[in-house]
Amino acid sequence: MAYHEFDCSTCIPERKKHAVLKGPEETLADALPAGYLSTIPGSISERGCAYCGAKHVIGTPMKDVIHISHGPVGCTYDTWQTKRYISDNDNFQLKYTFATDMKEKHVIFGAEKLLKQNILEAFKAFPNIKRMSIYQTCASALIGDDISAIAQEVMEELPDVDIFVCNSPGFRGPSQSGGHHTICIAWLNDKVGTVEPKITSDYVINYVGEYNIQGDQEVMQDYFKRMGIQVLSTFTGNGSYDDLRAMHRAHLNVLECARSSEYLCNELRVRYGIPRLDIDGFGFEPLSASLRKVGLFFGIEDRAEEIIREETARWKPELDWYKERLHGKKVCLWPGGSKLWHWAHVIHEEMGVEVVSVYTKFGHQGDMEKGISRAEEGALAIDDPNELESLEAMYKLKPDCIFTGKRPGEFAKKIRVPYLNAHGYHNGPWKGFEGWVRFARDIYNAIYSPVHQLAMVDISKDEIPTDRGFVTRRMLSDKNLGEEVRNAPGLRQYTGKFDLIPDLRNKTAKDYPYLRQDAPEELEQQETA
Amino acid sequence: MESLMKDRIEQLVNYIMKHCLWQFHSRTWDRERQNREILTKTLEILCDESVMPEDRLDRCHWVDAVVLAESYRKHYPWINNLSTVEITSLMKGVHARIDFLTITGSLNLELTDEHY
Amino acid sequence: MACNVMEKPRAGVINPIFTCQPAGAQFASIGIKDCIGIVHGGQGCVMFVRLIFSQHFKESFELASSSVHEEGAVFGALRRVEEGVDVLLMRYPHVKVIPIITTCSTEIIGDDIDGLVIKLNEGLLKEKYSDREVYLVPIHSPSFVGSMISGYDSAVKDIVKYFATKEEPNGKVNLFTGWVNPGDVTALKHLLKEMDIDATVLFEIEEFDSPLMPDGQHVSHGETTIEDLQSTANATASIALNRYEGGKAAQYLEQEFNVPATLGPTPIGIRNTDSFLQTLKQITGKPISPSLVKERGIAVDALTDLAHMFLAEKKVAIYGNPDLVIGLAQFCIDLEMKPVLLLLGDDNPFYVDDPRIKELKENVDWDMDIVTNADLWVMEDRIKNTGLELDLILGHSKGRFSSIDHKIPMVRVGFPTYDRAGMFRHPVVGYAGATWLAEEMANALFTDMEYKGNREWSLNVW
Repeated sequence: MAYHEFDCSTCIPERKKHAVLKGPEETLADALPAGYLSTIPGSISERGCAYCGAKHVIGTPMKDVIHISHGPVGCTYDTWQTKRYISDNDNFQLKYTFATDMKEKHVIFGAEKLLKQNILEAFKAFPNIKRMSIYQTCASALIGDDISAIAQEVMEELPDVDIFVCNSPGFRGPSQSGGHHTICIAWLNDKVGTVEPKITSDYVINYVGEYNIQGDQEVMQDYFKRMGIQVLSTFTGNGSYDDLRAMHRAHLNVLECARSSEYLCNELRVRYGIPRLDIDGFGFEPLSASLRKVGLFFGIEDRAEEIIREETARWKPELDWYKERLHGKKVCLWPGGSKLWHWAHVIHEEMGVEVVSVYTKFGHQGDMEKGISRAEEGALAIDDPNELESLEAMYKLKPDCIFTGKRPGEFAKKIRVPYLNAHGYHNGPWKGFEGWVRFARDIYNAIYSPVHQLAMVDISKDEIPTDRGFVTRRMLSDKNLGEEVRNAPGLRQYTGKFDLIPDLRNKTAKDYPYLRQDAPEELEQQETA
Repeated sequence: MESLMKDRIEQLVNYIMKHCLWQFHSRTWDRERQNREILTKTLEILCDESVMPEDRLDRCHWVDAVVLAESYRKHYPWINNLSTVEITSLMKGVHARIDFLTITGSLNLELTDEHY
Repeated sequence: MACNVMEKPRAGVINPIFTCQPAGAQFASIGIKDCIGIVHGGQGCVMFVRLIFSQHFKESFELASSSVHEEGAVFGALRRVEEGVDVLLMRYPHVKVIPIITTCSTEIIGDDIDGLVIKLNEGLLKEKYSDREVYLVPIHSPSFVGSMISGYDSAVKDIVKYFATKEEPNGKVNLFTGWVNPGDVTALKHLLKEMDIDATVLFEIEEFDSPLMPDGQHVSHGETTIEDLQSTANATASIALNRYEGGKAAQYLEQEFNVPATLGPTPIGIRNTDSFLQTLKQITGKPISPSLVKERGIAVDALTDLAHMFLAEKKVAIYGNPDLVIGLAQFCIDLEMKPVLLLLGDDNPFYVDDPRIKELKENVDWDMDIVTNADLWVMEDRIKNTGLELDLILGHSKGRFSSIDHKIPMVRVGFPTYDRAGMFRHPVVGYAGATWLAEEMANALFTDMEYKGNREWSLNVW
């Protein structure tokens, strides 16, 4: 594998060690992009800060919590309503955000009094919410407010509330990843072990590194419950604060996004002897293997197999319909962190697309090891890409579609490359069997959009067909397919609903016969510290 | 013969690198443990030895081993025709190669961090 | 029955109406041609502001960060700006203007960006970029002062102050539009054209609504040039349409270069647009053209169809940028509606003395609260807990759940409006804006009537 130098970055030669082209007969031992290093100022990198990594990415998906940021109003405003982590409690965490609104006088004289007033006001405004997370920002870190002391003071005054403090100012580390680390360790040190849970199954897991983007967590939780497994907590999507305080009582940590929360699983292993099982929730084969592993762990693999059989029979014909039509399409897999390895191989295997590039905004070298291993030969791997490099890569690789964030998607649009939102998804959830078909459907809709085709036309130069009133996606996608594929019996387009989550939420205990139906009343969750 | 062995090791290693995540745990000591425990158990399963995990940490390794062994048998049917001695030597090669790719030859600078 | 002005009764903010000053400075920065600002602070201060611009405009804008990490926060981070300027200039050969925008962190650690600019002008720019025209503009925008509104106002002033150069009078009018949309700029330029007036529009952001071209070469950016900025000192007069967004720059030009400044009114609604044209007429001596008389007639005709039959008595809450909120309230009153709650989202002490707010206090004959330093919880708390009844909400997308959860129709207006398509394309100013706003409000009410089965049959005939 060779390090790759972008033409636009020859003047910043240190960038060369951040990009690698996966060559034939070469291995990870030959080259690996540098990762998690200081960002080059002025390079127009896509990275965020450690505050957003802690508060926005990991903290806020917790659903029954007042999330308050101690600082000027901007950090709060800017990270509010920019993600799609939903919850089954009416999206409280999406709808309400709290800032202490630090002003100049507080910078000079301290803002601890202001913070305390804020905490009390917030609990008063939402009397049914008894849990709070406070996030430090650059400003409150630099003036040295003791947030923990104030939180302690309030907890003593209001015995029914519990407050978590996360000191992860924006400047802590090269990217949002610093915040992931800080909040994981803080949660572990301060909160895990302070609640004794109600155990209702012989099979108990924590589902870690899962943020319920468009309902991913609820899809996966449904599989676990169908197997009779108690999901004690989810860190953190759709997760409950007190459940997460009881993580120490799970038998197994099922880890999805190792990038953001492997720290937590590693420490839970060391401190509480809970094993870490890394899984993939994306793709039929990896998901099936993952469910089987969880089943095997508890000796209930037959239950996993039942789900795999049922779901595969239901959805595989639809996945394969898209695979026939996506075969050979080139995609750039340009997410934030974990999806570069979650998707790199399986998207090739199960949808037939060619991953011509992987990048990570805030990943570490471990993510690149996984991503490059799983990508095919010829893939260009880029760490901490900047805007000019992304453009250069797109001009060079000519992808049919890229999977990236909302804003980079906008400049890709300008060079007529359609994008799908790798962070928030287009029409997800994309986890689970049905979700994976939805992902394929979304890719198909992006690549074969008649509007996208129109974007390629220059009416001042090109021959304009005048006999066409419209074009359907299938007129484009099926043009070069043989009859046996076009009308292959047994294959069909996606037949699911616009929103699949309500049906999951409407399920009752009867839909989960393997779960204990008569959980004894005396097993209540108990606060122990 | 040697090149056949090398080729087979490469196939099995490639399968792990494409499909598994357990070999990429965070630190050197994690990866040494993961590779050792999972690949040893995989070998034992492939040799039809009975594997009895001692505790839940061990059971988690066993789980990955079971699924890997099954996949090997499915995707590389030639493995079913090998003798115990051959499988042992094959898996020794796989283990050495995986250790090299993920530990000794790894360029990941975070493997030696003292903390998680 | 009276109009009261009060402050939000809490110290903290629940669901903010504004973000902080650096966002305002960044919005000014993207209005300038051949310009990429460097925000001196943590990376989130840029990454999220770029995101919200792209949420609103469905375009990507170029802004850089000095990427302050831990060691910079401890030992000072000016070195990061030096490197940032160099990297930016090396890789973007067209860049001429680099605003250097501070944030809370770099103001607290006390990085001297003014001194740094002098140092770079004497050093880096002379040594390495002597063949390039480069302007480094220091902009102080600590996040713990004011809001994105004051950040924009100060940045526009700092930019004008940096460039304005006294030469021969250019016979033009400086038009400071305030924080508006491309559709507004188009509408304003149309009015100027009909009046045959030559103006320098600050900022020329029509191109924010940029095309997807067959050659695949297009970056969204503003079109205000260095020459435009330099010549602001030589204009006949300045009009700052929004008192709090561009007013400072107009006042600076008056004090420094004797360019007379008119602040406001924000030309929202018929009356304010009339007043804007009157100002233009006074400044330039040019008559208001018959074409505008006709255009006004079309608008008044449209409003007549709606006001007393559908809009009268409707109780409305309005939040967002102060000049926008006040302008919308004035327009609503002309449409016989009742603004009952106005939310101004920062602690600017001048709001209470704003003549428009005084006028409301003197003349409104129903209960109206004007809350300063407000957040969106002021509105929702009243809806939820104290029985505030609203027929309509006017505001930006961050308040969408107040509308959704309480089933109150809402017209998206202001910044940001990411949950409705193409809002940036439509003007709220001028006669065209008045028509569009009134019809949007009416259609929102109509849809609501239909969903709720509330006199929906009345729309059978009107």
